[in-house]
Amino acid sequence: MKLLDKLFEKSARRVAQNSSRRGMLKAVGAAMVGGAAIPLLPVARAADGASEAPVRPGEVGDPTSCDYWRYCAVDGFLCECCGGSVNTCPPGTEMSTITWIGTCRNPVDGRSYVISYNDCCGTTQCGTCLCQRDEGDRPLYRADKSNDVNWCLGSKSSIYHCSTAIVVGMAFEE
Amino acid sequence: MFAKTVIASLLIVSSIAFGKETRQESYERLEINPARAKFNYQMLCQGCHIPTGEGGRGVPNMLNQVGYFLNITQAREYLIRVPGSANSALNDERLAELLNWVILEFAQQSEPEQWPPFTQPEITAARAEPLFEVVQHRHKLVDQLNAAGFPVVQ
Repeated sequence: MKLLDKLFEKSARRVAQNSSRRGMLKAVGAAMVGGAAIPLLPVARAADGASEAPVRPGEVGDPTSCDYWRYCAVDGFLCECCGGSVNTCPPGTEMSTITWIGTCRNPVDGRSYVISYNDCCGTTQCGTCLCQRDEGDRPLYRADKSNDVNWCLGSKSSIYHCSTAIVVGMAFEE
Repeated sequence: MFAKTVIASLLIVSSIAFGKETRQESYERLEINPARAKFNYQMLCQGCHIPTGEGGRGVPNMLNQVGYFLNITQAREYLIRVPGSANSALNDERLAELLNWVILEFAQQSEPEQWPPFTQPEITAARAEPLFEVVQHRHKLVDQLNAAGFPVVQ
């Protein structure tokens, strides 16, 4: 016990002589912030799904043209020609949440991406840039994989205006 | 001062080491390939259940809900027998992976503390029991879950 007493006394005195109270606050503060950041970094990365490549494909082509790579499975009018864009609906229309989903190969990197063809709904059909490529289209009895379904059933109005083509992920290839 | 620093650091490190497992650790424990499971969700479920799992327009909400179904055997089986699962173009092994992924991704507060993962034999058995009146069946199960104290929304 004496040994312990001595040890603590000695260390306490050393601390008292060698450090200021503010100095201690500073050091403990730095240690807490630093200590928190170091183990968190890899954990946060793991939580984000480190195995997944970020979905930012390079782009080539003209989104007003039916040949544009994302339109491989489209059946409808291209929102890009209707006052919206390949990712957004024209003003005054509403994007259907319920949608049909396909994959298209991007010529830039040769990889397949998952494309969500959300319809824009609420005003009469746009009427320009009709595009019908239908890759991966299935008969109506497989409704979730058919682009003949009016996908505006997911919005307030079921009147179809035009189609977007939004990249939502990478296709998984076994 | 040094001792305090060490103790503070140890506390922080241990709270991480002994806390809830990370998502990556869950994938490993449940043998999930997250890229494949997510792709299957996107291709076969997301069109109606939407990216967040919330559904809408007659499509049931899974977000913060789907985990409650694991608490009653029939309700757990429902997750396999519901047409979107049972009729999907996935074999039993891949459907098990997808369902386990769905629980990790969308259950949130509804996830039970411990739950046995879906396995291929369980999927095979439940898929062999067709479900004809899906809406009625779900209604009944939600009543049961509510009675047992699980706040599932009809």
